[in-house]
Amino acid sequence: MTQLQKEIQDQVRLPAKVALDVVLQGIKIRLGRSLVTIMGVVLGIAFLMSILAGQLAKEGVSHESDLRAEVGRMMNFLTAEAGPLNERVVGVVQVGPLSEAENRFVKAILAQRPKVQWATVGGNAKIPAELAGAVQAVAVDQVGKEATAVVVAGDGPAPAVDWTAILANARQKVVGLARGTAAPTSAPAAEMESNSSTSSSASASSDAPAYTTVNLSRQPRPEETAAALKEATKNRFRSTWIITIALAVTVIGITNSMLMSVTERFREIGTMKCLGALSSFIRQIFLIESSLVGLVGGVAGTIFGTLFALAIYGFTYGFLLVLGSINWGLLGASAVGSVVVALVLSVIAAIYPARFASRMVPAMALRTNI
Amino acid sequence: MTQAATPQATAARLERLFEKPAAQQRRCIIRAVDVKKVYRMGNTETQALRGASLDIFQGEYLSIMGPSGSGKSTLFNMIGGLSKPSSGKVYIDQVDIAQLDHNELAWLRCRKIGYIFQSYNLIQVMTCLENVTLPMSFAGLEGDEAREKGIAILKLVGLGHRVLHKPSELSGGQQQRCAIARALANSPEIVLADEPTANLDQKTGAEMIELLAKLKIELGVTIVSATHDLKMLKRSDRILWIADGRIVKTARPEEIDFNSGEFH
Ligand SMILES: Nc1ncnc2c1ncn2[C@@H]1O[C@H](COP(=O)(O)OP(=O)(O)OP(=O)(O)O)[C@@H](O)[C@H]1O
Ligand SMILES: [Mg+2]
Repeated sequence: MTQLQKEIQDQVRLPAKVALDVVLQGIKIRLGRSLVTIMGVVLGIAFLMSILAGQLAKEGVSHESDLRAEVGRMMNFLTAEAGPLNERVVGVVQVGPLSEAENRFVKAILAQRPKVQWATVGGNAKIPAELAGAVQAVAVDQVGKEATAVVVAGDGPAPAVDWTAILANARQKVVGLARGTAAPTSAPAAEMESNSSTSSSASASSDAPAYTTVNLSRQPRPEETAAALKEATKNRFRSTWIITIALAVTVIGITNSMLMSVTERFREIGTMKCLGALSSFIRQIFLIESSLVGLVGGVAGTIFGTLFALAIYGFTYGFLLVLGSINWGLLGASAVGSVVVALVLSVIAAIYPARFASRMVPAMALRTNI
Repeated sequence: MTQAATPQATAARLERLFEKPAAQQRRCIIRAVDVKKVYRMGNTETQALRGASLDIFQGEYLSIMGPSGSGKSTLFNMIGGLSKPSSGKVYIDQVDIAQLDHNELAWLRCRKIGYIFQSYNLIQVMTCLENVTLPMSFAGLEGDEAREKGIAILKLVGLGHRVLHKPSELSGGQQQRCAIARALANSPEIVLADEPTANLDQKTGAEMIELLAKLKIELGVTIVSATHDLKMLKRSDRILWIADGRIVKTARPEEIDFNSGEFH
């Protein structure tokens, strides 16, 4: 009793390894045809991946050039008001974590070789580690001493300080706001101009202007944001559609060649059934073959697609810019996703051929004319 | 999935079905009762078998004779559980195989019956040894044990020196020897051979028949072999004629004049 039970369980379980053997040997023999199938997967997945990687490269490049434009503008606004910065003293009041643009902006200031006095306000403000050596940390009331300009930067509330007192000993009384939101408390909001290369005197009501505020950031107009969003949605739809078509073609290609593989092996399948192979074993053979094709094709396609997209964008915008600005984490995730997609699609493509093969009557093997 | 029944249930069932009867003198191992088979292709119907009944006893060497198209292969498919009769019953070891499901039939084909085909049907991508161990792996036997058993069987059929060759590197006779070894892999009680010599020359064909007869004696397997060549009948215990889907006569080899093909 137990012996027979074991026999039947073994018959169900063991042949997974055998199936893999059969598949590997089959692929070796039919290498030419397997390669054609794999090429189909490579093309489909390379297409998918080139679009994904291309999008990431494009986003990286446009993000980077936006950033550069932003930093350039901030610098222009600041120097228009404060004049050249080299050999002068520049104060920085950091009220929170710096944005990427602010970080770059501070570095751009440092590149002009002023002496930088850096004050932090609030618990969230910390001097970025890579700048700590180049600046002099001071208390906030010391930041304006001898300064040509004081820049307020960071994601945080406006510093509750008396600018008139801080800037008392300044060489030029200029406050640059890296963010429109971080308006100094002592300066009435009404006097801030949203897009200002123009400057305004802080205390218009008083007889003498105590200091000048420059808003360095530019808030994009709502209609611009809306248009960009619409454009992005349109692009996403278009590439989704193209990708879907490409992948559908790939799936049909795999199904077709798996069906060919089944008809090619009618005799072999029938023989194995005569020898006691279960239908599930036959199914396994084709599912394993297809997953191998999907895995190999998926990895190769992902590599080719990525290289292709990076090459195209690299030649257009320069490799340094593209490779420096692309989001590598997202690129890696897309690559893994592509391989998974290849694998899943191959298995889906093999379901019908595998069922077809597993339902074949073993008497087929006895017919010699196939 | 076709594996609806649990292995335990299947095992219990098979255990009950194939329960060994008390030792009999001549156990009937295969019984066909009024088996009919109709092939439908579009509108045309072919009556391949028109009611064949036969008993095959354990340990006998039965030859089935008949002209081409008479229904020999069809009869083999029925008694080997390879396809279902249109009507009639087939019993293997007293079990009506119509009541077996997919997996039980696979078990039957795996362990009870060995098949030998006219065109060998070896798996081309596998070596001789792998071809022989493949049905063993379906039966759960793997590794060194299977390899050793495979080599022993290949030696038995006279292929000990070609163990690691691929079928494409063997002569027709050697390929058929390999196929015979494969049929014996799981020590079946029955070997079904459908025109095993049809693709071979006279001499090699005769060698094959000798080999089958030897296996019958040494291993005690029941051999059912189809042929349309009179010269292949001498070693059989019983000969069955089939014509146009019917079994027309039975004879012993000594009743036949092998030169004229006439009966005494
Ligand atoms: N799968 C099938 N579909 C349709 N007709 C079939 C099928 N298999 C066999 N036949 C028909 O059934 C009849 C008997 O065929 P079968 O193969 O059993 O003959 P056979 O005696 O084995 O002949 P041979 O000696 O040529 O092998 C033939 O007329 C054949 O055309
Ligand atoms: Mg035939």
